Amino acid sequence: MSEIDRDSLMAYLDNQLGPDDRAEMERRLAADPEAATEAALMQRQADAIRTLYGPAANEPVPSRLSPHRMALAAQRRRWQDMARAAMIIAVLGIGMAVGWLLRPWADNPALYNRLIADAVSAHTVFVAEGRHAVEVAGEETDHLSSWLSNRLETPLAMPDLATAGFSFLGGRLLPAPAIPGGRAAQLMYEDADGERVTLYITPKTGVNGPSLELVRLGGDNALYWANATITCTIVGPQPPAQLQALADTVFAQLTPSSAPGSDYRPI
Amino acid sequence: MVDFLDELEANVPALRRYARALTRNIDRADDLVQDCLERAISRRGLFRSSGPVRPWLFTILTNLHRNALRTERRHGPTVDMDTLPELGTPAPQPAHMALNEIARAIDTLPLDQKEALLLVTLEGTPYAEAADILQIPLGTLMSRLGRARAALRQLTGATHEPHLRTVK
Repeated sequence: MSEIDRDSLMAYLDNQLGPDDRAEMERRLAADPEAATEAALMQRQADAIRTLYGPAANEPVPSRLSPHRMALAAQRRRWQDMARAAMIIAVLGIGMAVGWLLRPWADNPALYNRLIADAVSAHTVFVAEGRHAVEVAGEETDHLSSWLSNRLETPLAMPDLATAGFSFLGGRLLPAPAIPGGRAAQLMYEDADGERVTLYITPKTGVNGPSLELVRLGGDNALYWANATITCTIVGPQPPAQLQALADTVFAQLTPSSAPGSDYRPI
Repeated sequence: MVDFLDELEANVPALRRYARALTRNIDRADDLVQDCLERAISRRGLFRSSGPVRPWLFTILTNLHRNALRTERRHGPTVDMDTLPELGTPAPQPAHMALNEIARAIDTLPLDQKEALLLVTLEGTPYAEAADILQIPLGTLMSRLGRARAALRQLTGATHEPHLRTVK
């Protein structure tokens, strides 16, 4: 029977002893071949374990295990949740404003008023989108033009607002809930500061109303006008005068077949 | 906040090593580490009041691993194709055999002994810290370590009667 107990021997092997105890244990082991054999065996076990699994700590760490990245991602998720909550509040607010707008026609609001309301709803939903703001990107102007013209059964050109400081992001096809079976085109533009403006375009068919109407809804202004072939609602946070100027540029380009000024008169 | 994340980052290699030895599967090990870090990041507020980060991380990882095993026992184990023995594989070389033998032997240890053994031998954790991580008294840690080592000795064929006194 060895004089060295198991726990002391383990403590020695596991480097848990101070220098004095360590030296003392080495002296005792030198005089106790039985315990020395035991120690060598445990040492081999420990060496084998370190040989087996030690290298895992030297492998390059995959980026998904970077705490900095994970903290950033968590923060981004929190921001997205907050943005989504803010968005819901904004949409509710606009819904109430729209309701108020349609109040005089509570039973059967005029069609053009519903078009304005739809234009603002579509604006609110899609300007908040980052990567999916549009269905077809602005680079494909020709494709967009022929596609949307076909769907709306009205010749449309994609207005170029570069002179007004807006780049064309692209467009999408939307249902126009105000018109049974109706379709609308939404075109989106962005200025250098990231402010976005949308055009909501439907065919003129069956829409009666004023040729020009300016409405303020939530933080956005909506400028509606109609000519012989289309209705267009331009929505954005810009002041009315700037929307008006944009509308002039849009109108001149959107329906090339209509002569400027024939149906449309500035306010 | 940045200091805290740096501290987490410094512990990632050791956590991966410990998780790898516990699971013997690189993907499951890294999943455990990821869960562990996510938990640490989302609960750093709770942690602030108590001691150093390292034992806290190892406690989280140990608990996550235990939970994963419990779930696995309910749903049946997932078998990793890579770990299935191939039929007709020639007998391994003796040098490798000793390591394989040890690896298999560790796998057969009861989990509480395996955790204690890996924390101490692989991670070089001081006894007091290992006991703290596993939330057991020091004496319990020592007896688990002793039993783990005796079991390994038997399982790997190095069988001779233990000669050393066990001090209770």
